[in-house]
Amino acid sequence: MDSPAWLVLRGLCRGLHLAGCFSVSGTMVLAATLLRGARVPGLKLLAWGGFALALGAGAGWFLLQTAYFAAAQGWADIITASPIVAQDTRFGALLLGRVAVLLLAMLLFQAGWTRPAALLGLGGVLAQAWLGHGGAMNGPEGNVLLASAVLHLAGAALWLGTLPALLLALRHLPGDEAARLARRFSPLGMACVAVLLSAAVVQFVLLIGGVGALFSSAYGALVSAKLLALAVLIGLAARNKFRLTPSLPGSRAALCRTVALEIGLGFAVLLAAGVLLQLEPPAMAGMAGM
Amino acid sequence: MKRLLPLLAVFAPAPAFAHAFLKSAEPSVGAVVATPPAQLLLTYTEGLEVPFCTVTVAGPDGAQVQTAKPQPVPGHENELAVPMHITAPGKYVVTWHALSQDTHKTQGSFSFTVSP
Repeated sequence: MDSPAWLVLRGLCRGLHLAGCFSVSGTMVLAATLLRGARVPGLKLLAWGGFALALGAGAGWFLLQTAYFAAAQGWADIITASPIVAQDTRFGALLLGRVAVLLLAMLLFQAGWTRPAALLGLGGVLAQAWLGHGGAMNGPEGNVLLASAVLHLAGAALWLGTLPALLLALRHLPGDEAARLARRFSPLGMACVAVLLSAAVVQFVLLIGGVGALFSSAYGALVSAKLLALAVLIGLAARNKFRLTPSLPGSRAALCRTVALEIGLGFAVLLAAGVLLQLEPPAMAGMAGM
Repeated sequence: MKRLLPLLAVFAPAPAFAHAFLKSAEPSVGAVVATPPAQLLLTYTEGLEVPFCTVTVAGPDGAQVQTAKPQPVPGHENELAVPMHITAPGKYVVTWHALSQDTHKTQGSFSFTVSP
């Protein structure tokens, strides 16, 4: 369970779980804010789909992480360790708590209470920060890392998480209404990119330490891939804002294609982030041993 | 920008030690103690998931002298206490495996000596 293949599998489950959580909270946030009461068919189904992904991938992540914690040799070891992980570890408490919070949010969303649902959903996503390095560290560095992780998650969830619901709305709303929605989305997207970049600078300094580490470790390679994907995402978002959105409703098909591309790229970034969080940051390589 | 970069480098904080690494120990790493300690106290750089941490203390004859699993220290999420029963002088080798709250495993070893 300590081999690279298991590590990647754990990371992929973590990334898929986050993608599901992002989709749930993003759909709710869009419904509670920018849609302003406009009816979009399939929105609740989209949120339930995200919840199903979060639940299924979360179950896989829980089992794989339990196997890793307990150095399990088989199912019997995993079953024995599961209650301990659920009750006595931060990972278990946060994962199970988040699933419960998301379920409650889904029920509220289904009942039409979109704002409380969106707040709960976003809270469930942000709790992920306490499973990162900053959440486990003491002192000022830990606090800075934790704050940057919260901002990083908020920026990513409010941008990437809302894209599937945005695409659905752009496809189904009447032309002028879709144009207004796209214009309202632009400031949110720009704010999220600014927050993401600021948080990334802090994390780069504290966890990577220098540009050289980007090319000398698996962690650095994955960060480089994420940065490259982020640059492409920002490029696509800029094209949406400055070229396609002003031409709406005539450019609706092109805008939908670009948003779909952003969703695919964002999904790949989340999977990479899931694997990244299983690796040792270069800034502390060589610390073990004493 | 060229003027700004050195300024940023001056104010850049040191890299963070994410993952649980050993920060200090009682008895400390490489220490020589006159009285056999009744417990080993390990302090890490991060909070720990104690049920999944293991510590063994092997005496000069190779026999293990820890008498129980690592215990949490109330109010200190980053500390482990390991009760020991040491009856003979000599070199004692501590081998630890830690699971941090950010779900990562680390390991290491060190020794201390109980003088005759």
